[in-house]
Amino acid sequence: MMELDRIGLVVGRELRAERRQPDGIVAAVTFITVLVLLESLIVGPAVARDADVAPALFWLALAFATILATMRSFDRELEDDALEGLVALPGGRDALFGGKVVALSIVLALVAAVGGILSLVLLDLPLALPFHLVLVVVLGVIALPPVVVVNVVLALRLRARAALVPILALPVLVPQLVAASRGASAAISGDAVGALSWAGLLFAFAVVYSVLGLTIVPAAID
Amino acid sequence: METTLPRGTPMLRIRPWLGIAAAASFVVASVMALFWAPTDAVQGDVYRILYVHVPLAWLAYLAFVIVFLASVGWLWTKRPVFDAIAVASAEIGVLFTGLFLVAGSFWAKPTWGVWWTWEPRLVTTAIMFIMYVGYLLLRGLSTDFSRRATRAAVFGIIAVIDVPIVHLSVLWANSLHQLPTVLRAAGAPALDASMLLTLMVSLGAYTLIYAYLMTARVSLELGRQERLWTT
Repeated sequence: MMELDRIGLVVGRELRAERRQPDGIVAAVTFITVLVLLESLIVGPAVARDADVAPALFWLALAFATILATMRSFDRELEDDALEGLVALPGGRDALFGGKVVALSIVLALVAAVGGILSLVLLDLPLALPFHLVLVVVLGVIALPPVVVVNVVLALRLRARAALVPILALPVLVPQLVAASRGASAAISGDAVGALSWAGLLFAFAVVYSVLGLTIVPAAID
Repeated sequence: METTLPRGTPMLRIRPWLGIAAAASFVVASVMALFWAPTDAVQGDVYRILYVHVPLAWLAYLAFVIVFLASVGWLWTKRPVFDAIAVASAEIGVLFTGLFLVAGSFWAKPTWGVWWTWEPRLVTTAIMFIMYVGYLLLRGLSTDFSRRATRAAVFGIIAVIDVPIVHLSVLWANSLHQLPTVLRAAGAPALDASMLLTLMVSLGAYTLIYAYLMTARVSLELGRQERLWTT
């Protein structure tokens, strides 16, 4: 079986599991919704609508939502004792990493769509360059999962891993979060060149961490 | 210092000499930094913290690059000595990064008027510090030796990407922090010759201190590993 077929199988299995037991996606969507609602209460509607503030809070929320969804996804594997069977298959470790990253990007795209539409509507954000914003969001949801999946795998079966994963993942995610926030901010304010530059950086980080993950993560899965 | 390394191991033989060289060069570097190097025309004597701040920054980078190389070594060969080098370098790197931040803060107060400012170099350095605290935390929470070493090695490889980001953040972002004065794309170092010499001696002295601490910590870790195998 080809590598891509195996990854495709894990993606299909992951999405079916998410549909049957959607607690990960529900938690992530609820989390981002609450944060969007709280944002204008905490900082005030004028500050919340700022083209720099709204994207920054949105991407921070999305980073935590990614951690929540990824941890839930691996918890499901551990509860069902499914991980051992999967990693025992030839190429299973690569497929596990690749499949989780792709499936989480799809889940995250849904979470980002809900959170993004809520932000745009509730905060009444001006949207100068919608296609640029979509490009930044798409590349952002591709760039976050590889880092988070790597760190969840590293903390697998450790005590206090709920605390450990954000400590490990968030510092590594800083360049992606800066690029995604600045890119979204540029798209909202009408700076096409800025949005495309930040989108390029997001793409580069997505490729670097995906390749790095596929290279070294199989060694870390025990 | 208690160690289970056999007598005559090169690391043990070299350590006292390394300690003497580190102490002597540290004294020379301190005298040069405090009395020999000229006073800066703009900052006055405050700038002399440069001779501590820059070597600490260099050692922080060096330590984390060594963690990366040792992590690759462990994943490649599974030889425990690489894990010992990685943990030793990470601990020393965290110590030096902490001191680097403190020294930077002491320099920032008289020159920028604040102990801390939200400036890219400072923030990325603080993030690098937290990242390697996370590395040590990850090691601390794992009990099985091989799994701990592998998990830590994977994180050690991922985390090193932050090192160039920290160094280049002052070029990429509109920063308060001064641009690199020694390793400059524009050409020769932007420092007076005697200041540059003092800085080079300080860099050498601090590197010897790092090497001494590494030999001590690695031999302790190897001893700990040996006790682990025998129990």
